[in-house]
This record gives sequence, C-alpha cells and structure tokens, in this order.
Amino acid sequence: MSPMPDNWGYVLAAYGVAAVLLVGYWRYLAARAHELSQPVRGGRKGQA
Amino acid sequence: MTAYARRTWIVLWKDLLTERRSKESLNALLFFALLLLFLFEFALGPDRERLRAALPGLLWLGFVLSGLLGLGRSFIVERDNDCWDGLRLTPGDKSAIYLGKLLGNCAMMLAVEAVLLGLFGVFYDLALGPVLAPLVAVLVPGTLGLAAVATLFAAMTAHLRARELLFPVLLLPAQVPLLLAAVSATQAALLGQPLSEVSHWMKLLIGADVVYVVIGLLTFEFVLDA
Amino acid sequence: MTTRMLGWLALLGLGGGLVAGFGYAPREVAQGNVQRIMYLHVPAILTAYLAFALVLIGSVGYLATRQLRWDRLAAAAAELGVLFTGVTIISGSIWGRPTWGVWWTWDARLTSTAVLLLVYVGYLLLRGMVDEPDARARYAAVVGILGAANIPIVHFSVKWWRALHQPSTILGPEPSPIATPIALALLVNWVAFTLLFAYFLARRMAIARLEEHA
Repeated sequence: MSPMPDNWGYVLAAYGVAAVLLVGYWRYLAARAHELSQPVRGGRKGQA
Repeated sequence: MTAYARRTWIVLWKDLLTERRSKESLNALLFFALLLLFLFEFALGPDRERLRAALPGLLWLGFVLSGLLGLGRSFIVERDNDCWDGLRLTPGDKSAIYLGKLLGNCAMMLAVEAVLLGLFGVFYDLALGPVLAPLVAVLVPGTLGLAAVATLFAAMTAHLRARELLFPVLLLPAQVPLLLAAVSATQAALLGQPLSEVSHWMKLLIGADVVYVVIGLLTFEFVLDA
Repeated sequence: MTTRMLGWLALLGLGGGLVAGFGYAPREVAQGNVQRIMYLHVPAILTAYLAFALVLIGSVGYLATRQLRWDRLAAAAAELGVLFTGVTIISGSIWGRPTWGVWWTWDARLTSTAVLLLVYVGYLLLRGMVDEPDARARYAAVVGILGAANIPIVHFSVKWWRALHQPSTILGPEPSPIATPIALALLVNWVAFTLLFAYFLARRMAIARLEEHA
C-alpha cells in the first residue's frame, strides 16, 4: 500500500483559514475596544 | 383540585374555548397540512417508491412545518388583547400557565397530525389500521417534545418584531434529536415492526420530553417577566 | 494588565503549538502530513465545548442572580463558541477532502458539531434582535440552558441515526492508539487554544461592559 501523498496545500489551507478567522476576530475586538474608548458623542447606544 | 391544577385547567380551557368559538387557527392549519401533502407530491415527483420510502420523514416534516405555523402563535391572543400583564401578574406558580398552554398546544397538534395521517393514508394508500397503536405511541411523545420547546419559545418571541423569523430559527435546531428519533420509530411502526425493536429511540423520545418539559416548567417565569 | 499578559502568553503558546505540530510531531504513517490539521481541529472543538459550558454557567448564573456580568459571560462565550466551532468544521472539512474524498459527510461527529453550531448561531441571532438588556439576558439564558441540555441528546440521537445508515467504519480524525509525540503535540496546541480563548473572553467581556455604559 503506497503511503498517502502529503497534501501540504490542504494543511496550509486549513491553518490559513483558521488564522484568518482568529486574527479577524482579534481585530474586531481591537476595533470595538478602540471605538468604545473614544469620548461619547451625543448618546450613542451600543449593543452587547 | 389543587390551586396549581386549577390554574393549569383554566388556561387550557380558555384556549380550547377560544379556539372552538373562532375556529380560525385550527381550520387554517388543517388546510395548510393538506397543502403540504400536495407540495410533497409535486416536489418529490412521480416516483412512487421514493415517496413511500420517504413517508415517515415526510410525515414528520409535515408535523414540524405545521407546528412552526400553529405553535408560533401560542401567545398571540394574549399579546394582541393586552392580556400579557394579566399573565405576568398571576399569583403563584407561573409554570401552571406553561402547562396549560402546553396541553392546549398538544391537543391542537395531535388534531392536525391525526388529519394529516389520515390524508397520508388516503393519498398514499396506506393500511393504517393495524399499525395505529404503535403509530400513536410514537406520535404522542414526539408531539409533546415539539410542543414543550415550542410553547416556551413562542412566549419568548411573542413580543419580538422578528417573531416569524426567530421562532423557527430557534425551534428547528432544538428539534433535531426528536425528529431523528420520531422518524426512525415511525418508520418501524409503519413497517409493522414491534416498538421494542426501536426501544432506544422511544427511550430517547421520552427522556428528551422529560428534559424539555422540566426546563419549560422551570424557566417559563423568566420568559414571562416583562 | 493581566489581559495583555494573557494575550502574549497565548501568542507564545500558539507559536509553541506550531513548533510542536510541525517540528516535533512525526509524519503520520497512514494519513501523511495532512494529519497535522488535527493539531488545529481537535483543540478547536475542545475549546468550543469549554465555551458552551461557560454559556450554560453564565445562563444559569444570570437567572439565579440577575447580575448582568453573568449574561456578559454567556454572550462572550457563545460568540467564541461559534467562532471555534466554525474553525473546527472548516478545518475538518478541509482535512476530509484529501482523506475521505469529500468536503462533507453526514457522519455522526460532523453532523452533531454542525447542529451545535446551528443552536448557538440561533442564540446569537436572538441576542441581536432583542434591545432591552434584561429581556435579552433572560431570553438568551433560557435558550442557552435548553441548548446545553440538548447537547447530549443530540449526540446520542445523531450517533444512533448514523449507526443505522452507515455500518461501514469511517476513519476517525485521530488514530486509535495515539503515539506519545502526537498526543504531546495535541496537548501543547490545546493549552495554547485555551489561553487564546481566555484572552478573547476577557477582552470580549470588557467590551460588553463598556457597551452597557455607552
């Protein structure tokens, strides 16, 4: 039985997508935190 | 009768009476069930065998879809007629209201299911007589589980502007295990197998029912708070 | 600033995890290097389970105490749970393509995980559609409790359902006797993911707190 081919492309794709999602979420957190630390302009209501 | 049982009965009786007088929901729901039958026939095409094989699933699809329509409206009457505060301010255990609504919803769903089952029997030439007992044995716990979660979520979404969207979105994922169990058990029943062969499914159905009803009883008051 | 420290620790952990997964762990015999996706996939789902457990705790906590910080916990944990479940499913699907030949299969584990995702996406949708904080917290808590109670029920129902339809065995993601280097690499990655989760959770809850006072 021949060994499986390495399929590094798939490995890269999986880790790549995970990185995009996790980094994306981190950036969303950073952006939201930055937004909220600005002085409030005229009673803007946030949504949890 | 204990005060709790009386309260439950009052809610149930009120709903049954309202429905009997106006007949609006039940009639439309029954008609909807009939329409579903035609939909399944048209969607699944002329292949008789494929349809027959899919019958247990189609039956429960019909029940769930009807439930989405009929059960979502459980608390509309109270909402529309300004009775919500009346519910909220009821003295004592609010879970009695949940129980009353649940029993009423079960009655409604079982009526729709009986009709749909009958229609299936007619349109697809099924011999329902000999398998009626095991069928009912599956239908009742399946319906109870559906109604238990639906009644809770109906109360929750009654006041939300996105009610028609949120109710199905919340209800359907919760119904997955019930659907799987009910379809498998119904298939066994329709094939004439004794229910003991699908006892694990029946146990799952009943176990799930217990969990859902208990959670409903315990959390209903939190949903009712305005 | 412990949150910031947590963030750096998480980053360190993730780096260590990558080293362990690609440098230290050997090439798996049966599957080849594609198996290394498991160092991402397994920790992700474990982290998701942790998240959903916290949703339950937050839900019960809010109904018991009516203190909004429990709701903040539940909401943040739910968001993270959906995120990590998404990573799980996508990485699992990408792994499945070369190994099983398909992007998706309705086997028990995948199906259960997908249903889990559906439940908590619904949870987040509900939260998005209720403006009043107390009502939102109450409704979310009820859905959270029901969702959590349903997890074992879903697990068994899907398992039995598949057993009926697929008597043939399907390769699970990890080999049955797990070699020590592989187990170690998994552990390192799992710890890294847990640190990352804790960091995200802390930041998300802090944001929720700020939003309440906005």
